[in-house]
Amino acid sequence: MLNAGSASTPPGTPDAEVTMVGIGWRQAHYAELMERQVAIDFLEVHSENFFAEGGASLAVLERARQRYPISLHGVGLSLGSVAGLDPWHLDRLAQLVRRIEPAWVSDHACFARAVYAGNVVHGSDLLPLAYTQEALTVLCANVQRVQDRLQRRLLVENATAYLRWQSDPEHPAMAEPAFLTELARRSGCGLLVDVNNIYVNALNARREGVAGDPEWHCRQWLDALAPDVVEEIHLAGHARMNDTQGEIVIDDHGSRVCDAVWRLYRHALSRFGRVPTLIEWDTRIPALDVLLQEAAQARSLCQALAPSPL
Amino acid sequence: MSSLAAQQQALIQALFDWPAESAAQALAAHTQGDGRRGLMAYQTNGHELAQRALAAAYPVLCELLGTESFAALARAYWHACPPRRGDLAQWGGGLDQFVRHDQQLADERYLPDVATLEWALHQALSAADQAADGASFSLLTTADPASLCLDVVPGCAALRSPWPVVSIVCAHRDGMPSLDEAGLRLRACMAESAVVWRAGWRACVRQAQTGELEFLLALRAGSSLAAALEAAPALDFGAWLPMAAQSGLVLGARPMAPTS
Repeated sequence: MLNAGSASTPPGTPDAEVTMVGIGWRQAHYAELMERQVAIDFLEVHSENFFAEGGASLAVLERARQRYPISLHGVGLSLGSVAGLDPWHLDRLAQLVRRIEPAWVSDHACFARAVYAGNVVHGSDLLPLAYTQEALTVLCANVQRVQDRLQRRLLVENATAYLRWQSDPEHPAMAEPAFLTELARRSGCGLLVDVNNIYVNALNARREGVAGDPEWHCRQWLDALAPDVVEEIHLAGHARMNDTQGEIVIDDHGSRVCDAVWRLYRHALSRFGRVPTLIEWDTRIPALDVLLQEAAQARSLCQALAPSPL
Repeated sequence: MSSLAAQQQALIQALFDWPAESAAQALAAHTQGDGRRGLMAYQTNGHELAQRALAAAYPVLCELLGTESFAALARAYWHACPPRRGDLAQWGGGLDQFVRHDQQLADERYLPDVATLEWALHQALSAADQAADGASFSLLTTADPASLCLDVVPGCAALRSPWPVVSIVCAHRDGMPSLDEAGLRLRACMAESAVVWRAGWRACVRQAQTGELEFLLALRAGSSLAAALEAAPALDFGAWLPMAAQSGLVLGARPMAPTS
């Protein structure tokens, strides 16, 4: 863990005893957060929003870094792509990491790059992976390449999936927690567990006919993950859509964390210990105080836990 | 092709093909159920991202077309020219040419040049930071102009248009000139050349002075001060330099790097 900095410890200094709760810092709150000098343990930003060579956003981030540890959370590395990583993307990320010296660097277990009409294009989304040995091999190689380039450990997040790949008898799929644990073991990366994503996937699985209580499935999911590789937790809201094409639950990061996800967070804490936790909010961004209330809720649950993990 | 590669290519194809019916059918061979609802969620997200990303880079074009037409343009561009990078701020640089060849916008012949100008402004915002070196201008009084070059601020662009693009963009950005005045200039087919640069954190645009376009293009191509002045005989350099330095367009002077 890292602490937020005090008279004796600068931002980004490891401290295993400190409970850390951060918020996603988006443009709507750039000025207010800095002006109010909000007491928060860390800030998370999307790496790609700071890939510019210069300009205002980068200057704002550098200023924030003087006060807060920063988590660089990527949405575009495309770690699971058979087409491989984009060298440009990796260069920009490496440059940003050198400049900001973040507390954590993370991205998702998903893909976005593939060949289309003779070119490698980027789908600009977190597209789902099949949890096969083949996908694990690709993911491990790409994660390793990122870690080699950045010379640091990457955290990889479980993603939502709005469609599920057919199982192939020649390439049987693993359960997602086993897949991610194996990824961490083989590549040496850490895991970032997004509790809301697990719940959204469980709700969508129920929509597709999977029997049983979604929360029970989520607890099973969390229990199946190796606790020692989990280094961060994300919490967010989701939206239930119902249109002409039918129902679906979307991980839109546009509302408060729901009661079920808070219950699952408590379960996750009991299993993984006081893991640094982030409140994400990316659409319909509310007043900063709403995010801080959510962060306070996470902190109180975290602090209610005994200092050492089970 | 491996099973994983086939899955990934099928989903990407279903995202970018439009209409996507046959690609969606091909994707269904890889998914549990037909995968339609999930595919639609990804397609919807892609369209929303496309509109948001292009509206951020092209706010004036968005105002000129109106939200619905701009959304349709963004969707069409998304499918015709999918992003190549994982940073959507990098995507959209070809929209001017796409608009130029759009049959529905053929009557609005000034729109492609408005788009070119807006992209230059968008690029200026993210250009590298470079501090001014005011003291270096003293070289202008001591060194041979053939051995000197001027440092133009990163992100600077000089554009020529047969349309009053500066007036149109400034009318929408700052209200100067008024929209009515910009409309008059458009109907009169007034040609305008634009200078784009970043001053502090703000991207700026103004009409180029006489000879300034040629001068800046020569400097940006790596010409010496003497060669740039030769390319722009109409430029009043004595009046231009203090204005350009004060507004942050030019940052300093330095000896040309020796050529091998």
